[in-house]
Amino acid sequence: MSTALNQLPEALAAETATKGAGSSLRKDTIRNILRQRSAVVGLTILTILFLTAIFAPLIATHDPITSLRDLGESNIQRGDPPCIHALGCPLDKPEHLFGIDAVIRDEFSRVVYGSRISLQIGFLTVGFAIIIGSFIGAVAGFFGGWLDNVLMRLMDVVLSFPSLVLAIAIVTVLGPGLINAQLAIGIVSIPIYARVMRASVLSVREADFVTASRALGESSSGILSRRILPNALTPLIVQGTLGIGGAILEVAALSFVGLGAQPPAAEWGSMIALDRSLFFSAPHLILFPGLAITFTVLGFNLLGDGLRDALDPRLNR
Amino acid sequence: MSRSRMWSPRLAALFASAAIVIAACSGGTATVAPTTGTTSAAPSTGTASTAPSAGTASTAPSAGPFTAMAYPATGEAPCGEAAAPDATHDKYTGNFKKISAPDAQTVVFELCSPDAAFLSKIAFTSFGINDTAWLEANIDPAGTTNQKIVSNVNGTGPFKLEAWNKGSDVTFTRNDAYWGDKAKAEKLIIRWGKEAAQRLVELQAGTVDGIDNVGGTDFAAVEGNADLQLKKRPGLNVMYFGFNNKFPPFDNEKVRQAIAMGIDRQRLVDDFMPPGSEVATHFTPCSIPNGCVGDPWYGYDPAKAKEMLAAAGFPDGFKTKIQYRDVSRSYVEDQNVIATALQQQLKTNLNIDATIEVQESATFIDNADAGKLDGIHILGWGADYPDQTNFLGYHFGAGASKQFGDKFPDITKALDEGAAGLSDEARKPAYTTADNAIRTNVPMVPISHAGSAVAYRADIKDAHTSPLGNEIFSVMTPGDRTQMVFMQNAEPPGLYCADESDGEALRVCNQFSEGLYAYEIGGVAALPTLAEKCEPNTELTTWTCTIRSGVTFHDGSTLDAGDVLTTYAVQWDADHPLHKGRDNSFSYFPGLFGGFLNPPVPQPAG
Repeated sequence: MSTALNQLPEALAAETATKGAGSSLRKDTIRNILRQRSAVVGLTILTILFLTAIFAPLIATHDPITSLRDLGESNIQRGDPPCIHALGCPLDKPEHLFGIDAVIRDEFSRVVYGSRISLQIGFLTVGFAIIIGSFIGAVAGFFGGWLDNVLMRLMDVVLSFPSLVLAIAIVTVLGPGLINAQLAIGIVSIPIYARVMRASVLSVREADFVTASRALGESSSGILSRRILPNALTPLIVQGTLGIGGAILEVAALSFVGLGAQPPAAEWGSMIALDRSLFFSAPHLILFPGLAITFTVLGFNLLGDGLRDALDPRLNR
Repeated sequence: MSRSRMWSPRLAALFASAAIVIAACSGGTATVAPTTGTTSAAPSTGTASTAPSAGTASTAPSAGPFTAMAYPATGEAPCGEAAAPDATHDKYTGNFKKISAPDAQTVVFELCSPDAAFLSKIAFTSFGINDTAWLEANIDPAGTTNQKIVSNVNGTGPFKLEAWNKGSDVTFTRNDAYWGDKAKAEKLIIRWGKEAAQRLVELQAGTVDGIDNVGGTDFAAVEGNADLQLKKRPGLNVMYFGFNNKFPPFDNEKVRQAIAMGIDRQRLVDDFMPPGSEVATHFTPCSIPNGCVGDPWYGYDPAKAKEMLAAAGFPDGFKTKIQYRDVSRSYVEDQNVIATALQQQLKTNLNIDATIEVQESATFIDNADAGKLDGIHILGWGADYPDQTNFLGYHFGAGASKQFGDKFPDITKALDEGAAGLSDEARKPAYTTADNAIRTNVPMVPISHAGSAVAYRADIKDAHTSPLGNEIFSVMTPGDRTQMVFMQNAEPPGLYCADESDGEALRVCNQFSEGLYAYEIGGVAALPTLAEKCEPNTELTTWTCTIRSGVTFHDGSTLDAGDVLTTYAVQWDADHPLHKGRDNSFSYFPGLFGGFLNPPVPQPAG
């Protein structure tokens, strides 16, 4: 008993030390991330994007789907350029920051609401791919043998197709639509995360702490979920962050060819597709959603690069 | 007229094949064929099939003296047949009674009823004359769709096909053996580009000499460019939103009427159609004789439309689809925009939730013809010739496709009467009735008659546009260049235009193929081409055509009356072994002449 009582403060101290170490690790990580200029730029862009998405109803000046005709505006026509009174636009014309699209809707409001769809696309698609891919990769890496061979050859088959072509094939089978487009892009992304996870598992599974757990009789699933996975997450986070930008771009491409978001959804790729016939007379209708896609993908890529640099122990300074 | 069909089609095909082999072995006298062919008499239908061996007929001319032939070989088509003759065929609703070729230079068309628009109809591109031997060599009677002739074509026109580079262009070379004025350019290349902006860039860059369908917002830019010339095309077309009455809820007339009232057509035209467009008061443009003689279309009344929809059992609206093909045509520049605007209006005005379904162009047309479009479909029509039969008759007449589902008897009856009228004045009451019946039945909602334009480089001499969309490039001189390059909206689905209805195919066919008559360049009058003349009897029920002599096909064979007879027979008789092409719909023949001989029993929708 006394031995046990004596041991208690030591255990508490150890736990506190562990917590302190964790907290310190977190602080170090954040500090490392903030030290990366690209990550800061990426974070700034994405913060603006997130705020835009969250507060879209407050930021948008009009309903993104309703025709401006139904909102009572008459002194306008499709493809009208941006009209900002403060910059000299005649006062008798209604104000539209990004102009009017091909179906007589406010372009600015559609670009703003488009941020919601794009973020949803990015996170759901990559989330789906990470969950399925990391499960496959973890199982393949941990158990090895024929299971590893079968699963990874399957992943190789999927990877052997150009991702967009495979996605188009999948959407053609499932039918056009945003959900199916996300599913398709998610499916073609699975092998990337499976490979990353498998590589991480392979490097960790022979580590001392895993051997110790195994010696103490911990089950395979316990070792995998409590010992290996947490230690294999870092590369997955980096890859996932980089993947979100790619997923947004690919779904925008699918929407552009009519296989992704369907009208009247305010999705940037489908907005460019709808307005492309006005390319010469109203290039701003292509420019604004194009810029939105560019900055969003840039934001995720910069953050991903920054995270990679910050979380890679070999690059730690 | 009895036309029993006791023999099975397979047996008939067997006989047909045997006849062809025997004819070939015996030196190919033609005669037999057509003649053998058919008949009204009976199963002969089956036999009828034999007719084609008429094919033989074709060979005849080149093999020896011409032998008189007819189709059907004996008897005649059962005009006004009251009931289906057997389980596999529907009743005959067509207007052709018999075609005869008494000598090598004469063809006689006998009709069931007078047809004042006969010359305008035979001038249409689908009736370009083919060499019989060519048809036999390039259509496999045992095959199904997508026959060799779809891309391997022959003709008598000023250009002959050099190559169809799928996905890229169709290239023609000048036909130096052409019977008329030779083409000005040595070579004609027809390319395509889906986007109006893309076409304009190509024209501005000088990589093409002309483009179809200048974007509505680009008219001013073309007119202001000294290097280009803009040719505006009159709106002899219609864009409409169609319904198939075999699919609910469009089987309910009140639903269709509600949608007719619930769409603000004026707004669609004002906001989305090119300059020169107008709201359609009737399906047919008013510039066509008797084009708008019935009551004008419903006014925009969303409140009443909602009431009607509620009365029809849909107080909360319903879910449906908007189906279309993403192509630019003279009657609609940007279908994506029209579809999205329609989607908005249906939701706002009638609480109808419509999803958008884009289909590949040829698939969409095939689905429309087969009656498979179960939502609201966006489609349009450009005039082939300036007559009501080309608008109302083609779409809603007895021989129309299944696009709108079951026929409306009150419409078809009036259209039959109108088509048989001897003068515009005499036809007016029938077309008034037809227009009003269309207004009541609402098989579609007419939206607009669209203005459109073609643009050329400024140095193209004799550049023109056609109200019928069939610009003739052989008369144009491309500056100091030897080739003329024209960019249209899309690739032709096929080049055998007897089995095509897309204007993108028809324009291409017009460059190498000719019919007995053709439309004047830049106009609508029908002028003799391969026929020196076609003269009617006083009742307008028999048309006797004299075939131009000395005309040769691109493969060197000589044109004769047998070729004319075979060209028409393979389109007319649905049981003809050569009644095959790209998808075998041959929609123009029944659309213009009321129906096929030996029409198959309609299949259920879906």
